[in-house]
Amino acid sequence: MNKIIIKILLTFIICANGFASLEKARQLYNDPNVERKNEKITYELIMGDYYFSAIWFATKHIVNAQKIQPEFEKALKALIIKAGPEIFFDIPTEALVRHDSPTLYFVLGLRYFHEKNYAEAIKYLDKIPDNNYLQPEIRLTKGAAYSLLGNSDAGYSEYKKCYTHAENAVSASSNDKIKRYYAILKETCLIHVARLKFTSKEYDKSMEAYDEIDKTSYKWPYVLLEKAWVKYKQNDYNRTLGLLVTYKYPLLESYFMPESELLTALSYHKLCLWEDALSVIDQYYNIYKPRSEALASVLTKNKTSDNYFFYLTHESTQMLEARHPFIRSLITQIKKTVKYNVEYGSYKIAMKEATLLKKMNRDDFIRFLIEETDTQINLKIKALNWYIKEYMYEFINKINDLSFQLFKIRIDIMSKKRDLIYKGTKLIADRGRGDLQHVKRTVDEQFWEFTGEFWADELGDYSFGLKSNCEEVKQRTFEDVKKEIQEEEKGQMKNEKESESAKGAKND
Amino acid sequence: MTRTIVIIFLFTLFTTSFHALAENKKEKVVVEYKKYERFDLGNLEIQGSVIAPGDVSVKERERKVMESDFYEKKDYYPDIRRDILNLK
Repeated sequence: MNKIIIKILLTFIICANGFASLEKARQLYNDPNVERKNEKITYELIMGDYYFSAIWFATKHIVNAQKIQPEFEKALKALIIKAGPEIFFDIPTEALVRHDSPTLYFVLGLRYFHEKNYAEAIKYLDKIPDNNYLQPEIRLTKGAAYSLLGNSDAGYSEYKKCYTHAENAVSASSNDKIKRYYAILKETCLIHVARLKFTSKEYDKSMEAYDEIDKTSYKWPYVLLEKAWVKYKQNDYNRTLGLLVTYKYPLLESYFMPESELLTALSYHKLCLWEDALSVIDQYYNIYKPRSEALASVLTKNKTSDNYFFYLTHESTQMLEARHPFIRSLITQIKKTVKYNVEYGSYKIAMKEATLLKKMNRDDFIRFLIEETDTQINLKIKALNWYIKEYMYEFINKINDLSFQLFKIRIDIMSKKRDLIYKGTKLIADRGRGDLQHVKRTVDEQFWEFTGEFWADELGDYSFGLKSNCEEVKQRTFEDVKKEIQEEEKGQMKNEKESESAKGAKND
Repeated sequence: MTRTIVIIFLFTLFTTSFHALAENKKEKVVVEYKKYERFDLGNLEIQGSVIAPGDVSVKERERKVMESDFYEKKDYYPDIRRDILNLK
């Protein structure tokens, strides 16, 4: 009961505080003589939790002021966290640089990264002090920029710092959501280290980094495929197949990765288990052809729309299922991404703000705020719509590209089968069940039979035990059969002769 | 003079009529082809300098092995970039 009263009181205080701040902002707006007007209105609106309404005033202040105050830096931090750094992307570079503001340097660095100007991105991110709250994001961006410039040593060092900063942020934050955000960021830094090691062909180190991702992590299902690539590069095809079979687990249904099918087919191909590879290829065509068609029909009809895909994510599971089960699964996958969640959270804050404003008496100031908030909401919808559409386009392009790659494997298998016939040989054995002797294990890996048991924590630790079928043995040709018959006939004739001579000797 | 002209005229008339009569009479031409002819290819000789190989043969060669440039993951650059673009 007490808790409810406290909550009601807090809500009332917050609302009253918000209203008072808005009232103060209105007075400032209507006063023609007030100095640093935009800056002061920004403070008041942020105090009242009107973040999206404050964006326009903050932008004006950045563009017009010669130098921003330390207090304004705090306001920028609040705006970046609530609305995202891209809200300041359109501000000219000279205005962003002028203030020597860490937050604005971050905006600039990120903008240059978007423009693929990685050297400039690093230049501005370097200007941010080490104790800045954005350090995990800054280090991650710098690490990525160095990696893309081909400087893996510098990239590795930045990722390591990113990991430490993110880990400190997890321990420092008391809010669960913020804790989770930094935990994901920490894992992203680890994954980037693993990818860097993969690129430089240090596969053991890459695997070590991937293994640090906990199975309960949001990132873990995505990491399985990357781990499978490492094992594939290490020629451990049984482990590759074991890692990929984890995606068949019912709870990982929405984590469907077409690339995992290609890697499965490639692994079977490497083990010369051609029939298995061909069956994976057939399965891929059977599964992904209708999916690709369903997705293409949605994409082509609505590709010019600015909001269709955004509202598609709002449809109920039944409605999405009626469109196509695959569309439902893909939407589920998109809705699980961090980008979608953060952007959608931001959109909801903007909507809440607009609803509050629309309930107020509409004078010039409120009308202006409603107009600005609506603009920001539309931008958010467009950004999310673009993100979903791009995700779907990338997915369909991947399906088509992988389909071509699988076709190449099929052609190669056919060619190899033909060569065997010409050479009069065949592969040593047909596909049989695996055996433990073909399983490669590290010192910390153990073998369990799981007879009548099911352990959830074995997920992702499977290995196949298939023997490579690549050895060739000579096959009986027509000539061989002819020779065998001739030898048999010779043998029979010899036997007959011997028995006749034996008979003759007996008669004598 | 007149007599000579009449004789020439009559002579011309006579020869023209004779030719026309001869043309009307169609002669039947029968062309006969050889029903069978045997070529002894081994016995054939080529006159002059030989610039082509004397016999036709198929050289034994190794079977062409198809180049298989399968998809290989080399790096994660697009994924690294995407992670930063989606950074909030």
